[in-house]
Amino acid sequence: MSEADTHSIKLVADRYLKREVLGEGTYGVVYKAIDTQTGQVVAIKKIRIGQQKEGVNFTALREIKLLKELKDPNIIQLIDAFPHKGNLHLVFEFMESDLEAVIRDRNIVLSPADIKSYIQMTLKGLAFCHKKWVLHRDMKPNNLLIGADGQLKLADFGLARIFGSPDRRFTHQVFARWYRAPELLFGTKQYGSGVDVWAAACIFAELLLRRPFLQGSTDIDQLGKIFTAFGTPKPSQWPDMVFLPDYVEYTYLPAPALRSLFPTASDDCLDLLAKMFTYDPKARISVQQALEHRYFSSIPAPTRPALLPRPPRKGDSLNNRPLDLNANEGPTVLSPPRKSRRVMPQRERLEGHGHQGDKVDDHLYDVRQAASGNTGKSESMPMSVDFSVFGSRPPPRPTLNR
Amino acid sequence: MAANFWASSHYKQLMEQEEVDVVHSPDKEKGLTLDEFKLIKMHMANYIAKLAQSVKVRQRVVATAVTYMRRVYTRKSMSEYDPRLVAPTCLYLASKAEESTVQARLLVFYIKKQYNDEKYRYEIKDILEMEMKILEALNYYLVVYHPYRPLSQLLQDAGMTEMTQLSWGLVNDTYKMDLILIYSPYMIALACIYIATVLKEKDTTAWFEELRVDMNVVKNISMEILDFYDSQKILNEERISAAINKLALKP
Repeated sequence: MSEADTHSIKLVADRYLKREVLGEGTYGVVYKAIDTQTGQVVAIKKIRIGQQKEGVNFTALREIKLLKELKDPNIIQLIDAFPHKGNLHLVFEFMESDLEAVIRDRNIVLSPADIKSYIQMTLKGLAFCHKKWVLHRDMKPNNLLIGADGQLKLADFGLARIFGSPDRRFTHQVFARWYRAPELLFGTKQYGSGVDVWAAACIFAELLLRRPFLQGSTDIDQLGKIFTAFGTPKPSQWPDMVFLPDYVEYTYLPAPALRSLFPTASDDCLDLLAKMFTYDPKARISVQQALEHRYFSSIPAPTRPALLPRPPRKGDSLNNRPLDLNANEGPTVLSPPRKSRRVMPQRERLEGHGHQGDKVDDHLYDVRQAASGNTGKSESMPMSVDFSVFGSRPPPRPTLNR
Repeated sequence: MAANFWASSHYKQLMEQEEVDVVHSPDKEKGLTLDEFKLIKMHMANYIAKLAQSVKVRQRVVATAVTYMRRVYTRKSMSEYDPRLVAPTCLYLASKAEESTVQARLLVFYIKKQYNDEKYRYEIKDILEMEMKILEALNYYLVVYHPYRPLSQLLQDAGMTEMTQLSWGLVNDTYKMDLILIYSPYMIALACIYIATVLKEKDTTAWFEELRVDMNVVKNISMEILDFYDSQKILNEERISAAINKLALKP
């Protein structure tokens, strides 16, 4: 035992240089570290072993089990795992941001090509899961992480499951409510990859609208929101619906034109959305079919990941020792100056820096660069409001409609 | 399911018989022979199955647990990893990995009930400590494929569902051997079907031909299984405890 301990302490010391805490994960603290073997920045999840009760956390075990089988450019990589001081540690590649931060950042303009790129990467990661018979079951923008190279990767497989045996019954209590497919809301226990497709469609819509698309406050309300958007489904549209465990009848609402919900979307885009938002899970488009849809081959071509607009790095605001990061200062360099135009927080500090009246925008941009370059403590000016500054949980998402 | 087995970590970890049949040096130094090494693993597979019956988990969990146990001993010695602790811990870990968690305290309760022998008794904290060590020994690979699903599919395809019971029992017995570490579950399923049809004198030559599998492999696996049944006739409890005692694990 003591032998194993010294070995694992060495492993941390030898291989991983511990840095600041990034936040509280689903089952323990996440901190940033440098893998000295590769020079790679990593995120280490420390999994608390419940007080001598039930050993390695069940959710963590699920994630380990599945991620060891899922190696894909659009799925978060589990680099290593090791026990240390009686706790299990999981080493992931470090990701700078997530899609929720992109969607929420009002300073970011997403072009149709950018949206196409983000949703394509989402679907590619999902297609790989489904090919391996894994349901993600927790698709939502803040589980879609964005790396330094702009690649989007599916993360948080704590709810994921292997499917495939048709008779297995699963819980319908999966997904954050806004991303839950109607069959789940009606309490189905036998479902398939269609649930992930519906959630991906919600994310697609959210990219277009820049706000969560269907924000129900209860399950009943969620279904109401869905039916308001797409019309109450008729049994002819979805024959199995009336047999679902929690089925309740809703008053009939006709479907408004999809175009009225997404006025800026192209015809191809609307066609794909409609196919992903199909009520009957049996008729819903598969992820693979979605990737082959003409939306992805028609112009504009999806933006190359490295050129996608991104918010400032997650770590920036919390990072006290930026030495390892300044070498490849990513987002500020890559992003267009327009991102700096509406810097909100800490304005006084900026003005204290010597504000020159004209050419405000460019000036702010320069200051931001300078600030991140010379302060020992990286209190660098966030380009937009990154809520992680204020604590571990972001405030409720802004609702701009109604 | 079979299609993605070939891309799985399970497939990549398949080993040769000679690699599996290695008695690690700490055990060898204590005089443990290869036969005894196999005997202990078989006994532990039975132990896992018996425990699983008390706590009522699916056959699949048993199969996964036995696979974990056998994988552990391709890398670790029995002197270092006491089989009497590894076996129940593998069942505990497999129950979580297969989504039908069994509480550690329940396992401990049934271990005590089943064995009066002090040497089998372990506490919850021992199991939880060993769980971490086993995860490490498995290199955190937890997904295991089994012959049960291909078996049902193949029997359906062959229109021989009446063979299910016999061949299913044969598959269960294959876990008393190391086959799952060496061959694909699909081939193991076929070997069990082959034995079952030979026993019931059914002619399935045409069906096997249509499958275009390497019949030599299927027949080799079948021979191994039949040899195993032969060798089992001379099994007794004393030989098992003699083998375990050689390891001199618990004071």
